[in-house]
Amino acid sequence: MKLELRRIHIKDIQLGNETTVKNGVLTVNKEELISKLKEDERIKDVKLDVARPGEKVRIIPVKDVIEPRVKIEGEGNGFPGVSTKMAQLGDGKVNVLYGAAIVTVGDIVGFQEGVVDMWGEGAKWTPFSQTFNLVVDIIPVEGLAPHVHETTVRLAGLKAAEFVGEAGRSVEPDEVLVYEMGSHAEESKKYPDLPKVAYVEMLISQGLLHDGYIYGVNSQLILPTLLHPNEELDGAVISGNCVAACDKITTYQHQNNSAILDLYAEHGKTINFLGVILTPELTTLEGKFRTCDYTAKLCKSLGADGVIISEEGYGNPDSDLLMICKRLEDSGIKTVLITDECSGWDGMSQPLADTAKEAIAVVSTGNVSHVVTLPPADRVIGNDKAIATLAGGWEGCLEEDGSLKCELNAVIGATSEIGYHNCTVKLY
Amino acid sequence: MKNNMSYQIVTNNPNVKKDYKEVIFVEGSFEDVLFKVRDLVHTGFELINHPLGASLRMFFSPYRSIIVRENIDKTNNIYAETIENSIVNYQKHMSVRNVDVVNGEDYALIDAELLKSALDEYERVYN
Amino acid sequence: MKFKVLYYVNQFFGQIGGEEEAGMAPVFKKENIGPALGFNGLLGEEGEVVGTLICGDNYFNENKEEALEYIMNVIKESNPDIIVAGPAFNAGRYGMACSGVANAVIDELNIPVVTGMYIENPGLDSCRAKAIVVETTDSAAGMRKALPVMANIVKKLMKNEELGLPAEEGYISQGKRLTVLSDKRGSRRAVDMLLARLTDEPFETELPMPVFDKVDPAPAIKDLSKSTIALVTSGGMVPHGNPDRIQSASAQKWGKYDVSGREALTGEYCTIHGGFDPVYANEIPDRVAPLDMLKEFQKEGVIGNVFEYFYTTTGTGTSVGNSIKFGTEIGKELKEAGVDGVILTST
Repeated sequence: MKLELRRIHIKDIQLGNETTVKNGVLTVNKEELISKLKEDERIKDVKLDVARPGEKVRIIPVKDVIEPRVKIEGEGNGFPGVSTKMAQLGDGKVNVLYGAAIVTVGDIVGFQEGVVDMWGEGAKWTPFSQTFNLVVDIIPVEGLAPHVHETTVRLAGLKAAEFVGEAGRSVEPDEVLVYEMGSHAEESKKYPDLPKVAYVEMLISQGLLHDGYIYGVNSQLILPTLLHPNEELDGAVISGNCVAACDKITTYQHQNNSAILDLYAEHGKTINFLGVILTPELTTLEGKFRTCDYTAKLCKSLGADGVIISEEGYGNPDSDLLMICKRLEDSGIKTVLITDECSGWDGMSQPLADTAKEAIAVVSTGNVSHVVTLPPADRVIGNDKAIATLAGGWEGCLEEDGSLKCELNAVIGATSEIGYHNCTVKLY
Repeated sequence: MKNNMSYQIVTNNPNVKKDYKEVIFVEGSFEDVLFKVRDLVHTGFELINHPLGASLRMFFSPYRSIIVRENIDKTNNIYAETIENSIVNYQKHMSVRNVDVVNGEDYALIDAELLKSALDEYERVYN
Repeated sequence: MKFKVLYYVNQFFGQIGGEEEAGMAPVFKKENIGPALGFNGLLGEEGEVVGTLICGDNYFNENKEEALEYIMNVIKESNPDIIVAGPAFNAGRYGMACSGVANAVIDELNIPVVTGMYIENPGLDSCRAKAIVVETTDSAAGMRKALPVMANIVKKLMKNEELGLPAEEGYISQGKRLTVLSDKRGSRRAVDMLLARLTDEPFETELPMPVFDKVDPAPAIKDLSKSTIALVTSGGMVPHGNPDRIQSASAQKWGKYDVSGREALTGEYCTIHGGFDPVYANEIPDRVAPLDMLKEFQKEGVIGNVFEYFYTTTGTGTSVGNSIKFGTEIGKELKEAGVDGVILTST
């Protein structure tokens, strides 16, 4: 497969009367996008807003983040199986509005977290303080069942990304990244001496607000499955998860999965990258045993020498992570795990909900209980009532000057377990 | 695998009590539900779904529903270990935090939705 | 203005005397004695040592309340910015005293404390999370190395500078896992770690799994009715009056008492354990260490014999090092006495 990600560098977003990219400035036709989204009769209203890096703006509660793109060559523009007809992804040319993001806001339930601060202390902790964000706040008609509400918001975000992405169709890119990899047989012939490495990407797959989709298939329903890395980079995986703000994998992070990109960078040099195994994190114990066995079996069948495993979430998924690790290490496959930890406010509690002595190589992407103080924003996009939810975690976290003490838990992408951000933990 | 679908739901969620017949209702907290499950596991019940949620936020929930079923085999260490560890973990987190009662109704709703998914999964996996 | 340091040392480093003076009550001298002298020199223009507290190691450990009362009063009156204690190297009682002072000062006065210990000093566990404990050698020969490290840390703390990693600064990890930003994103670090593993290069995990000290269970006793069973507890059960003065927390010793003539602990025993509500344990001490049931079993012939001595210590706060030591010592005695099995109770 050969995929070209053609980046058009976006330096600002403006709302206006047309949808274009000129000299790096993305202009979005506000009325047209709103009426496009309102074609879905479940949507009562849409509010659009722009948040730029450095502005004293807080976005809350963020549901998903999506990168606007358009496929100009090859099959499957948009998100096949979800927003467009089924197509085989992974080949072709995609124009990417790089530096722009669609950020959907929608409080499906009152306890959603998901803060993006565009400035100051908060900006440090989220990768999405660095993107120009078109915030799409979706207000549904009354009386929608929660899962219909979730679907509505999810689809609206994807649709908005497609609509905005179209603006890049005939724009010359600033840089072109090429991702090319043949079949296992071909690559093994090319690199017979390089160690074979697979990437296991775990997805929360447990029900409403706890789901992921692969070509539109709810990951609850699958056995672990093998993808060519290009498929995920081309939009095959999307997020339906909106509870674990700090460590959920947003759609944007699937499109730009850092673990895939960093393994790709080594492909043909130090490793032979075999591909991505998507593994559901189920809720039943038997289900967990089955997926963990199956994942290990796939790695073994592929002849992997090493495997990187990334988790999504904290709590029961820790068991899956460590079970997969144990099975792989027991069969002689070297693993590195990427996970965040929950070591308490003082960093002195046991970091994971489960332990395994086989997990000797672990990357920690931060303590989700690490407390940060976020100063008051000049402007809140979304629902400032959601801030009260953040403040409700414990006594005394709302300071007199209006700053808010919260755990990294609430910050979008802070402790991304695909290693998208730079947080780590050091023992002091 | 025994073809035995006779599960029971240990819950403190009033919505679940209303909607299901196979309920062991616990008048009490999330923690009390964990205790009840522990007691059942130690007397030979099988733990069907993991007692903990998939994010720290779900620890704040006032409600939790956990599926168990009677098992004629002797107590399995995996179930005992899982529920005991879950209790330790729950207590660790909630010793410094508040249960989010303000959003109680939403948690009740999501708990019921997650239970529904877990039961669907149970039917898929355990037959 | 110079910051003020108050220095704590034991009788030996306070130049009063050796073991024969270990029982001395604390005194305060408004001068720099022993390590305080060298330490003061290392502070330069930034700070000064305003006085030295000297206390006998035995006195501190056996009269902790009284010792601390005096020490805390001196500290309150002198109002220092920081306390420096030791270094205690591998001296156990001195380490326990430094730890005791550190915890009291930090908890009650919120004044920072810097001390120094050898990694196996039994005083380390109880204070490492709160105080900054500089890692030293196991003997006083390491004084010249330890003092500059301690002085640097004190100066940093007084300037409100954040301390770097333990290995960089020379202190023993406090066990705090702090979230920081790395110059490489997580996925890149994972790839680097995997590459290291694949090429058998050294690598360092960012999240060490907790190590549990697992002991394989002994093989089952074949015939209980012919066995001698001993009773051992970490529940702090001692004869009334605590004749051996076993500590109520962070135990330094264990005791053994002849119970061959007793039917139960109840009546003559009580707990000195500082880690639980003792009401129910004191009501019936056999709830903690069931001598009554063992004797009953002996009468019924379920077990052959109850070993004549009962062993006891306090579990709470007791260092792993001491626990291993106690276990080894008690185990050795029991083995030599031909005991077949042990009922070991904790609280």
